[in-house]
Amino acid sequence: MKLHRFLLPALLAGSLPQVGTAFCGFYVAKADATLFNDRSGIILVRDGRRTTITMSNDFKGDVRDFAMVVPVPTVLREQDIRVVDRAIFDQLDAYSAPRLVEYYDANPCQRWDYAVMDELDRAPMAGAAMKEVREEQSARSRGVTIEARYSIGEYDILILSAKESEGLKDWLIENGYRIPATANEVLDPYIKDHLKFFVVKVDLERMQDMGFEFLRPIQVSFESDRFMLPIRLGMANSKGEQDMIVYAFTRTGRVECANYRTVDLPTDRHIPLYVKDRFGEFYRDLFKRHYEREGRHIVTLEYAWNVTPSWNGVKCDPCVGPPPLTAQLTQAGVDWVGPNGGANGNVFFTRLHVRYARADFPQDLLFQVTPDQQQFQGRYILTHPAQGDLSCSAGQDYLEDLYYRRKKEVDELATLTGWNTWDDRRYIDEVKGRMTPERRNGLDAPVIPFRRPGGGQGPGSMLWLIGLAALVFGAAVHIAARSRALPG
Amino acid sequence: MLRTLMDFFRRDARHAQIVLLAALLVHGLLNLHWSLQLPRYAVLIGSCLAMQAMAVRVLDLPLSGLKSAVITGLGLSLLLHVGTLGTAALAAVIAIGGKCVLRDRGKHVFNPGNLGIVLTIILSRDAWVSPGQWGSGALLLVLFGSLATMMLLRVGRADVAFTFLGSFGLLQFARTVMYLGWGTDVFVHQMMNGSLLLFSFFMITDPMTTPNAPRARIVWGMLVAAVAFLLADRVRIQAAPIWALFLVSMFTPVFDRLWRAARFQWSPPVRNTQINIDPITS
Repeated sequence: MKLHRFLLPALLAGSLPQVGTAFCGFYVAKADATLFNDRSGIILVRDGRRTTITMSNDFKGDVRDFAMVVPVPTVLREQDIRVVDRAIFDQLDAYSAPRLVEYYDANPCQRWDYAVMDELDRAPMAGAAMKEVREEQSARSRGVTIEARYSIGEYDILILSAKESEGLKDWLIENGYRIPATANEVLDPYIKDHLKFFVVKVDLERMQDMGFEFLRPIQVSFESDRFMLPIRLGMANSKGEQDMIVYAFTRTGRVECANYRTVDLPTDRHIPLYVKDRFGEFYRDLFKRHYEREGRHIVTLEYAWNVTPSWNGVKCDPCVGPPPLTAQLTQAGVDWVGPNGGANGNVFFTRLHVRYARADFPQDLLFQVTPDQQQFQGRYILTHPAQGDLSCSAGQDYLEDLYYRRKKEVDELATLTGWNTWDDRRYIDEVKGRMTPERRNGLDAPVIPFRRPGGGQGPGSMLWLIGLAALVFGAAVHIAARSRALPG
Repeated sequence: MLRTLMDFFRRDARHAQIVLLAALLVHGLLNLHWSLQLPRYAVLIGSCLAMQAMAVRVLDLPLSGLKSAVITGLGLSLLLHVGTLGTAALAAVIAIGGKCVLRDRGKHVFNPGNLGIVLTIILSRDAWVSPGQWGSGALLLVLFGSLATMMLLRVGRADVAFTFLGSFGLLQFARTVMYLGWGTDVFVHQMMNGSLLLFSFFMITDPMTTPNAPRARIVWGMLVAAVAFLLADRVRIQAAPIWALFLVSMFTPVFDRLWRAARFQWSPPVRNTQINIDPITS
């Protein structure tokens, strides 16, 4: 059972290689699949109609194989596209992750996902102009328009619009993108909805010249009434589950999902001391159980806090990573603070965790900004017992409380993670060793909770009951009404 | 015992409505794990009651109006989120105040809950609606549908609920599946949204603020659906049906003038003669 748990898609540290996709890109892994893609990171900034999206690029494969396709609502201008420092994701993650200090060692990486090309066209530089002409000619014949072409940092970027999915698909394949066969069903709706396609490749030489080892995150900004993330594209060739962490910034308050439930992570729970060394595993299992219990199609709130640099309130409690500074906020795309922003620039930060699979998330994620300023954090509490001589009466009372408290902690652990806590009796019983025999004999026998992992009840069962009761009740009312009406 | 209970529910359709809305609130708290905000619910329902009591006193309205105030308070508790309790009180004051002031020939123009939500969002900038809070699923349809249909059949407003849902569904289907080419699962997900269903069965169907004549209600329901669709699809407003109802309600008096019929009353007149004098069908 335990082994099985280890094999589940790992949330915190590395994971098994698998074929799949995340957020908005096609992705075809190689046979030896060195690419991880179970987790992606997105920074989302929303201010009025303006949205800035930063996509983290923790690409593990050969950068020549890197490519990405993202639907965007407008033709982006060159100044709308930036390449930013990847450290920003680590900082935000460290600041906002569910807390137990030791957690952070286990969580070094965000992941992102990309379309993977077979191989970049490695035509000699002299042929580059020829290549562009070729690309454009073939694009026109396929109903694909290259709206813009930019070289930014290590990336070559195209903005495409298309008339129909078949042409776009063919063009992408012709130009070296391996597109899954099922892509049409997603590309078509985006094209008809007047979305453009932001297509990215890496220029290997420029990257080497710049001396970067890793691909840096790409940031795009645009004005649009839509506030959404197109996750369907990334699910075109994957049935598996993918994790996405969204770090959102607004002026007013929390960001929440408008077409799926946004559910609070279970928080402020007291758990046994021995979880300390297994916190990564604990949180992974807790999240999985929470997500299954809540019926899978949910977005989980992991953190919400006011991070306005000029605000003097507590920025976290306890702080496990430093709150974002003005420079980091600016880097993330929050352009209303800092030297150019006004003094009244409030910044509210929300961290959302989405685990999505094709079956549970038919629709792209729609978001809305709310004025909700309520702060929230995922926090798990360890309580170390008192040390020293506890033989006095008050000390014995304390030990009795401690004994029952530990029972509760173990129970909580089983409820949160579904772990089999049968062996955890020792953790409770060790308190007994410090008690006088009379006290020890007065204790209730410990009832160790035993839970079967998984099997959480969905929110549906209660609904059915209420519905059924209502139907029975309605029928009764109806019959009563008729039986009355007859004699009248 | 059962007979007494039946009598209680048959005497006034609002009794069933109160029980249903309270059950939905309990469902949200127990099953959907909404954060328990007792002060918010207390202020919303309490302020609605206080405002209504004042209206009963000053305007000499029937005491039974307090039941409507409880319904408005519960409806607001289910839909409206607020940053501070002051905003909650404001919503209640607007809802019940608007009911007493904005009247056309003695009939209030706006659904009190709807007016309270829309104006509080506009005025306070501290209130919002979470359209995703119910999630989406066929179970919700079964629940809302079965519960509410029974109740609506009692007050004769099932026509509005189904006209609205049908027209809105048709428009969404045409756009999402037929035009854009998404799979039907996207359409089903849109239509099974709990907030949409709650709105369809509990807000738009308010017998006091829907047009009096059945034919007018059909046209009116279709209009709300069309406006809601445009707001959602073109302007990309979340919780579009609530805004659409607010906009279309402004014209309800026009509907009542074009299609004439008697107004709805909560407590039916003498039961045995009701059929003969029921003016709605005439």
